[in-house]
Amino acid sequence: MSLLLEARFLNKRFSNVDALDNVSLTVNRREILAIVGESGSGKSTLLATLAGLSPADSGHVLYRDAEGPHDIAAMDEMRLRRLQRTRWGYIHQNARAALRLDVTAGGNIGERLMMNGARDYGEIRETAARWLDEVEIGRERIDDLPMHFSGGMLQRLQIAATLVTNPELIFMDEPTTGLDVSVQARILDLIRTLVHRLHVAAIIVTHDLGVARLLADRTVVMQGGAIVEQGLTDQVLDDPHHPYTQLLVSSVLPS
Amino acid sequence: MIAYNFAYLDEQTKRGIRRALLKAVAIPGWQVPFASREMPLPYGWGTGGIQVTAAIIGQDDRLKVIDQGADDTTNAVAIASFFRRMTGVETTTRTAEATIIQTRHRIPEQALTEDQVIVYQVPQPEPLWKLIPERPVARRAHALNDYGMMYVKLYEDITRFGRVSSAYDHPVMVNGRVLMSPSPIPAFDNPKMDAMPALQLFGAGRERRLYAVPPYTPVRSLDFTDHPFHPGRADGTCAFCGSTSSYLDEIIIDDHGTRRFLCSDTDYCAGRIEEAERRAEEGGR
Repeated sequence: MSLLLEARFLNKRFSNVDALDNVSLTVNRREILAIVGESGSGKSTLLATLAGLSPADSGHVLYRDAEGPHDIAAMDEMRLRRLQRTRWGYIHQNARAALRLDVTAGGNIGERLMMNGARDYGEIRETAARWLDEVEIGRERIDDLPMHFSGGMLQRLQIAATLVTNPELIFMDEPTTGLDVSVQARILDLIRTLVHRLHVAAIIVTHDLGVARLLADRTVVMQGGAIVEQGLTDQVLDDPHHPYTQLLVSSVLPS
Repeated sequence: MIAYNFAYLDEQTKRGIRRALLKAVAIPGWQVPFASREMPLPYGWGTGGIQVTAAIIGQDDRLKVIDQGADDTTNAVAIASFFRRMTGVETTTRTAEATIIQTRHRIPEQALTEDQVIVYQVPQPEPLWKLIPERPVARRAHALNDYGMMYVKLYEDITRFGRVSSAYDHPVMVNGRVLMSPSPIPAFDNPKMDAMPALQLFGAGRERRLYAVPPYTPVRSLDFTDHPFHPGRADGTCAFCGSTSSYLDEIIIDDHGTRRFLCSDTDYCAGRIEEAERRAEEGGR
């Protein structure tokens, strides 16, 4: 397994709170990493920092491609943007905020292609149609506006619009929170299928240990901006060592 | 009687505008901020164009002002008379005789030359304004050559209407780098901007922006490879001069909806009528 993304000693303070406290982690190619912890533990800050959306006060995020490691803080903005739009993807909790609701489903999926230089209408449309089938919305909805879509469909559309460029790494911030439970299960199933088939690495922020259990190869547990425990998901969840992890695991309602 | 400086604006203001214009010429299509002044006409009536013209006009220039292609509309007549009073320069309606042409919404039918400058009045200089509401974000997109979202709009047009729907103000890529609004000229006029021998200057008074396209600069209208740009034109013939190739205005002439097409470029139309009369006379002799 080769290293894809590496964080070294990230620190970030918001006024008097340590949002990130000496955080180091690695993500390998094709690996799914879950970041779990309670609200305010620094999960989302960590994800935004890893994705190059907000800089850390100190520490480095290194992204490795064929040319070797790149410190994303040192990358010029044009290059970072291109990376974020082609090789990376970001799936937001709130699909409404991430999508253009007044642009057709096809246009939303096509946007990333067009941003990357696609200039053939027919091809863009065919790719969009294929992805609508892929995420089980169905190609017949290609000219419908997302404002008429249900929450689950919006999240599917966001997934299609992100995966359309075949990224190698996607960041997901609570991708199923806010959806009802039956829809959650189907979206998780979809993510798991696609991620495995496309060999994409993923970092998933979640407060739902079930999501980590279902999707993640490895899990890190955060508390107060620091990583308190990390390891293989089954190991962390079945045999938690840190008292906070034990508390998290024991507070899951038995299903 | 108050004595005004030549061309109304004071010399320092004109120098400021010229400096901005030099920068605009140096980066084709790039929007350069300038200290737009209050002018003796309301915003939206050509305050940007009028300031650019005032900054570049000299004693031996000859000015032509058109509005929607016509020399005889209120706005065009008012601006032309303003410059006659403020500079004493000659004005003309003949495209070929003018050294500066200030225009709103059209490029003359007759091809412009290296000896001419065309000044466009621009209401909205930012081509991305409907897609990116925040100006600083739009400026970043320009800086980073990040124009993919403009194609989203074209995609939507083709999806909904079967073709690109912007009949005017169709965005162009200048010199292969900067996305630019051609001002609200019809798409029909877009191809005239490409490699035009004349210097093209654009002034947006309310938005306080200038931009420019130097002579012989490539200007390409955005399109898809399988849906090429199509300069639209009403399928008709000018009722006055019989032109089948000029840009036409549609005019309803009675209460029963009877319509006629006329050239929007009045000088072009008048020139063709004169030419036809001259030929008829020669033929009759």
